[in-house]
Amino acid sequence: MPPSLHIKGAQKIIDRTTSSLATLRTIYVKELSGYLLVPFGWVILGCTMALQGFILQAVLQVMTHATGNGVMYHMLDNLNFWFYFIFIFPLITMRCLAEEERQGTLEGLLTAPVTTTQIVMGKYLAAYTFYLILWLPMLTYPLASRIGNLYTEIRYGIQPEGLITYMLADWVGPYLILALSGAFFVALGIMCSALTRSQIIAAILSTCLMIMYYFMGRVTELWGEFPAAPIFHYMSCTEHVRSFASGVIDTRPVVLYLTMTFLTLALTKRIVDYRRWTR
Amino acid sequence: MSMVTAEHLHKTFGRFTAVKDTTFSIEKGEIVGFLGPNGAGKTTTMKMLTGYLPPTAGTACIAGYDIIDNPLEARRHLGYMPENVPLYDDLRVYEYLDYRARLKGICGKSVRQEIGLAIEKCGLEPKRKNLISTLSKGYRQRVGLADALLGNPDLLILDEPTNGLDPNQIRQIRELIRDLSENHTVILSTHILHEVEMICNKVIIIDQGEIKAADTPDNLTENLRAAGRVSIEYKGDLESIVQELEAFAPIKKVMTEECEDGWHRLLVRAEPGTDTREKAAAIITGHGYPIRHIYRHIPSLEDVFVEMTRRD
Repeated sequence: MPPSLHIKGAQKIIDRTTSSLATLRTIYVKELSGYLLVPFGWVILGCTMALQGFILQAVLQVMTHATGNGVMYHMLDNLNFWFYFIFIFPLITMRCLAEEERQGTLEGLLTAPVTTTQIVMGKYLAAYTFYLILWLPMLTYPLASRIGNLYTEIRYGIQPEGLITYMLADWVGPYLILALSGAFFVALGIMCSALTRSQIIAAILSTCLMIMYYFMGRVTELWGEFPAAPIFHYMSCTEHVRSFASGVIDTRPVVLYLTMTFLTLALTKRIVDYRRWTR
Repeated sequence: MSMVTAEHLHKTFGRFTAVKDTTFSIEKGEIVGFLGPNGAGKTTTMKMLTGYLPPTAGTACIAGYDIIDNPLEARRHLGYMPENVPLYDDLRVYEYLDYRARLKGICGKSVRQEIGLAIEKCGLEPKRKNLISTLSKGYRQRVGLADALLGNPDLLILDEPTNGLDPNQIRQIRELIRDLSENHTVILSTHILHEVEMICNKVIIIDQGEIKAADTPDNLTENLRAAGRVSIEYKGDLESIVQELEAFAPIKKVMTEECEDGWHRLLVRAEPGTDTREKAAAIITGHGYPIRHIYRHIPSLEDVFVEMTRRD
């Protein structure tokens, strides 16, 4: 007897999983192309790159004096970084569910053989992928600096020291924290988008939550140390970014961001279902 | 087996009851028209059948699958076209249908085939590469219909499929629905009564959340109060004729009116389903009076609709 017959139940589960993953993939591809095949995503990408460029320029100034840390450390442990970082999330997530509901297309989605979880996860993964794409241009900095150095060498005959290098230690930590905190913040944005049919309200809500979370992490800077201070240290995204960007990979923030992402997405699924009940 | 069975479907929005304890069933192959004034609960009922709006109480089965216990299977058996046809404006017709087909679990080579079929049935060929935002209302409606047809579902639920279309488009959609009825069960809602008379073989009249009638259009019109009504115009003595007519069994009441030129107009109310014209004419001409007009009122669905949903 072929082994597949022994585990008929298991085969059924595998089939079901494959088909539900196929649906998830369909939603994911559609949502991701909603970022990449229309101007919307490219405008965000362009603006983010421009802002990163401005900061890079300032960072290079700093790096000519201070040594020891990589370019990514200076890029992230920087007040200017937070200034635009927080606004990325409302921008990329505000449409997700709010627009779907305003247009009425959520009705079409939820009357197709699709579960709420698939919809939420498909949209989340697409937004998250797009978020990760936003950070890819930074990987070209060392290459760009190499080209710049070459130009200086040819034009002026001086051999400049390489400031920006491809050192694994300089890049892994910063990218890891960007990926981790981004996972949570994108989920937060999606949740806000599920709460309303207006993109603007979704954007305001998620900006507000994001800024609140940011300030929670800086409470200890204002109040000093007090008995409950470790909680604020534990959730401080500025501190996480500082430690990860300098190459210290701590598992506590990993757990924090992963669990928060999971909880927020679970809540989002509940919200979408709940709003259907009360409509 | 019934295609749709709704058992005690009930829906309240806060204090407002949209659908009251509704029970009905729809057999395979029927074209059912949901009729009712605005806000009667047609759309709510349809949305509950699709599983989009969870009912406050009660349940329904689509092709044998419960919409609450087994929503995904139930949804696999239905194609739904919502009111006002919400679509993604930034997609092209072909892309939209491709997305929808994949969502409905169609995969591989059959995607192209299914889309081709739906596009052909709905006459979308010239617009397949257009952006949905550039389509006219009629074409949007057709895209919605094509979407509902993808995957060849057993049951089609169409919420006001001809809403906002011009007469030619209405005729096209009507013919399309008639063609579809060969292989599908169709539920459609509309307030165009004429349309229902032409294509539906079952009518469900809903008012204030309750089913007032569910029958074939013929049966509905036959049992109407207005059904036996006859109007007669003649010249001659009034009282004796009225007396004689009222003595005749199926006639319940005779009302009189005066025409300007000295002729009398009689409005004869009789039992539904009877034809009193011959007898009435015999009585009048028996006296030697001339008749210039005799007409038996043919009840339409409109009369049924008005009678069922009148608020007085």
